[in-house]
Amino acid sequence: METVSFILFSFLGALVMVGSIGTVWSRNPVTSALFLVLNFFALGGIYLLLEAQFIAVVQVIVYAGAIMVLFLFTIMLLNLDDEQALKEKFDLQKGFGILLGGVLLVEVLYILGLKINLPQKSTTLTPVEIGEAKNIGRELITNFLFPFEIVSILLLLAVVGAIVLAKKNFSPNT
Amino acid sequence: MPNNLPEIIEQVKLSLGAFVPEISLSALFLLVITLDMVLNEKRVVIPMVSLVGFVITGFFTWQQLDMPNQEYFLRMHVVDPFAVFFKFLFLGAGALAVLITMDSEELGEKNVANIGEYYAVLIAMVLGMFLMASASDMLMMFLALELVSISSYILTGYLKHQIKSSEASLKYIIYGAVSSGLMVYGMSLIYGLTGQTNIYEIAKFISANEVDEVTLTLAALLVMGGFGYKIGAVPFHFWSPDVYEGAPTPVTAFLSVGSKAAGFAMLIRFFKVAIPAEPTGELAFDWVNFFALIALVSMLLGNFAAIWQSNVKRMLAYSSIAHAGYLLLGVLVADDLGTQAVMFYLAAYTVMTVGAFYVVILIANKIGSDDVNDYRGLGKRMPLTAAALTVFLVSLTGLPPTVGFIGKYMIFTALLGKGTVFLTLAIIGVLTSAVSLYYYFKIPLNMYLRESEDGAETPMESSAFANALAAFLMILTIGFGLFFTPLANFAKNSVIMLVMN
Amino acid sequence: MGQEISEFGKVFLFLAVGVIFVVLGFVTSRLIRPHRPYTEKLTTYECGEEPKGSAWVQFNIRFYVVALIFIIFDVEVLFLYPWATIFKQVGGYALAVALVFLGVLTLGLIYEWKKGYINWVVPTPNIPKMPTKKFEKPKSLEKPKVAEPETTA
Repeated sequence: METVSFILFSFLGALVMVGSIGTVWSRNPVTSALFLVLNFFALGGIYLLLEAQFIAVVQVIVYAGAIMVLFLFTIMLLNLDDEQALKEKFDLQKGFGILLGGVLLVEVLYILGLKINLPQKSTTLTPVEIGEAKNIGRELITNFLFPFEIVSILLLLAVVGAIVLAKKNFSPNT
Repeated sequence: MPNNLPEIIEQVKLSLGAFVPEISLSALFLLVITLDMVLNEKRVVIPMVSLVGFVITGFFTWQQLDMPNQEYFLRMHVVDPFAVFFKFLFLGAGALAVLITMDSEELGEKNVANIGEYYAVLIAMVLGMFLMASASDMLMMFLALELVSISSYILTGYLKHQIKSSEASLKYIIYGAVSSGLMVYGMSLIYGLTGQTNIYEIAKFISANEVDEVTLTLAALLVMGGFGYKIGAVPFHFWSPDVYEGAPTPVTAFLSVGSKAAGFAMLIRFFKVAIPAEPTGELAFDWVNFFALIALVSMLLGNFAAIWQSNVKRMLAYSSIAHAGYLLLGVLVADDLGTQAVMFYLAAYTVMTVGAFYVVILIANKIGSDDVNDYRGLGKRMPLTAAALTVFLVSLTGLPPTVGFIGKYMIFTALLGKGTVFLTLAIIGVLTSAVSLYYYFKIPLNMYLRESEDGAETPMESSAFANALAAFLMILTIGFGLFFTPLANFAKNSVIMLVMN
Repeated sequence: MGQEISEFGKVFLFLAVGVIFVVLGFVTSRLIRPHRPYTEKLTTYECGEEPKGSAWVQFNIRFYVVALIFIIFDVEVLFLYPWATIFKQVGGYALAVALVFLGVLTLGLIYEWKKGYINWVVPTPNIPKMPTKKFEKPKSLEKPKVAEPETTA
């Protein structure tokens, strides 16, 4: 039923919003990070609702799992004892941010209000089948082969970059 | 089991033949990483290997000149004269970046323990630029852009012990993340509207179906956010002064020419192909006026803000914003003449900007400062270097007999005879160039007409190699200014872009 | 079909009921329980010990590098998973595709290895100085440890 999906979506959407607002508003960086986890999980839920199960799993594993750990490491690394130091005053930058956010909001509302005839893709697969890892794999090695291989270079670059930039300090022999 | 698998394998095999330059660059990237692990003495070998690799890639690119214009890799990658022109440009800029790095004290043995990865990342960046110039799918555009962006973040922050460098890198990452986020959002809107990611298919869909104009405009504006950040135009320019100042100078030089050229290549392809003018001359939405606005603000802000800068790198950053404005003027004409002018100007800009930054490096090697006020009396102490810098600055201003003059001339003539709006823009362009004269000439003024504070007049010329390179770039700047026909013809022949098949 | 919710909607309903159940339990207990906080109750529970100082400790940057590298290989594996599901059906071509992908990334692994970011070298511990008078160790225990390297060297 439409209504059940709608209720679920509203619930998850509300969670996403609570998560993001909490991330920005909470004073303690760790609380911020945990709100972000909530956000990531709820977003994963929305992907599931759209029957994109693989993407949902990726969202949970990579974002809620790995990237969150990185965030927490960084927070621990910085040793942010003084919460006051993170407080900011209202300034031009923030005003600009609010303006930009407002523009994006208006834009989203406008697009939501549209009755767009979505172009139909010719496919025999049902939505659930499209989200399956098997079908994603098939696309990955056929239609999206080229980006797939380029991603490997991008990841290698990321490895090199991570080591170059996160290396503790410069020691002549490494 | 994909039932069209044999067909796909056949296509991939065919595509590999059209991908040789990129394969060669990828192999070079892997080779340099391997060498970095294996070798002990890297300061000479790795740059040499990189240069040889660039030359080999250049050879393969040259072979692509007579390839048929076609999309490869299941419509992800285009080979056409337009892409080939930019590939040569990126290789040239990359090779110059390698050469000027070898001479930089900033990245010298005293400051940087390991330089191997630097060249690897530089090569990856050139590869990303190659992909940017030939991407014909929004997915590839995003990936290529990220490849270039991530490389530039790493290179900007390469001097980790310098707070300025790290700060520049962080700012760059934050602005970069926001703008690529905006760009992806815009692309997703376009995908939502058309159901396509391939830019040729998008064009087909837009011309065949009714598409909501406001949404398309918004989407294109968001996409422009990503491109505008790469080319450094207002209002996406906030990062550039800090990044230009904080990054190691060779990186600054490469960013200002390579990234900008790659951004323009992608921007021109995206807007000319995906949102083309109808036969009636009407556009699906009016990106021309929008570009006109960006170009106008860029020219004004870049040139006027540069007046107050005393750090040469910062000043060149603002001037590069202004140059993005001039280049956009050529883009918004949206005809072949304008595109040709942009391509010529980008080639010219590469020579003169790399030259200017190289001289800044040479001077910084000696006096350890990038401040204009410390340049006093250098005309006597480093005559050749000072002369070269003057030539580059003349060229950046756009005065004859330099290549910069020809470039500006081509852009402004492309604007003529197309209506009052374009004419006004051309006039503003000329006037702001006059403004740029003021701040550019602050440097020669200090070098030649003012004595240094301590009155030192001992000559401190750089090495023979450095002088030769500076002289070479100087000769190129003047030479292409006098004999510009070959380059102009090359640009003219390269305008042919794969449009709608 | 039109009447049904999406496949995962069912899972969600299940989850939602679970969440509501838990939340309901907490809310009810909050409503009926007595509320009498005092200092002892509000302190952090640390196995009966008096909590001392801040729970914040500065991590070694080494963890960060490892986490960064982990993310990169995490993403790599995520790309390989869909490939693995299709591999058996496609065969040689799929193998070639993955070999290129993995070949490039293996170089990354070797690179890390060579640079020493996979070797876990235990850092020299930075032991805080104790008030020596009270906890002084017997000299006989400490001496050989310090003296030995000196005599051998």
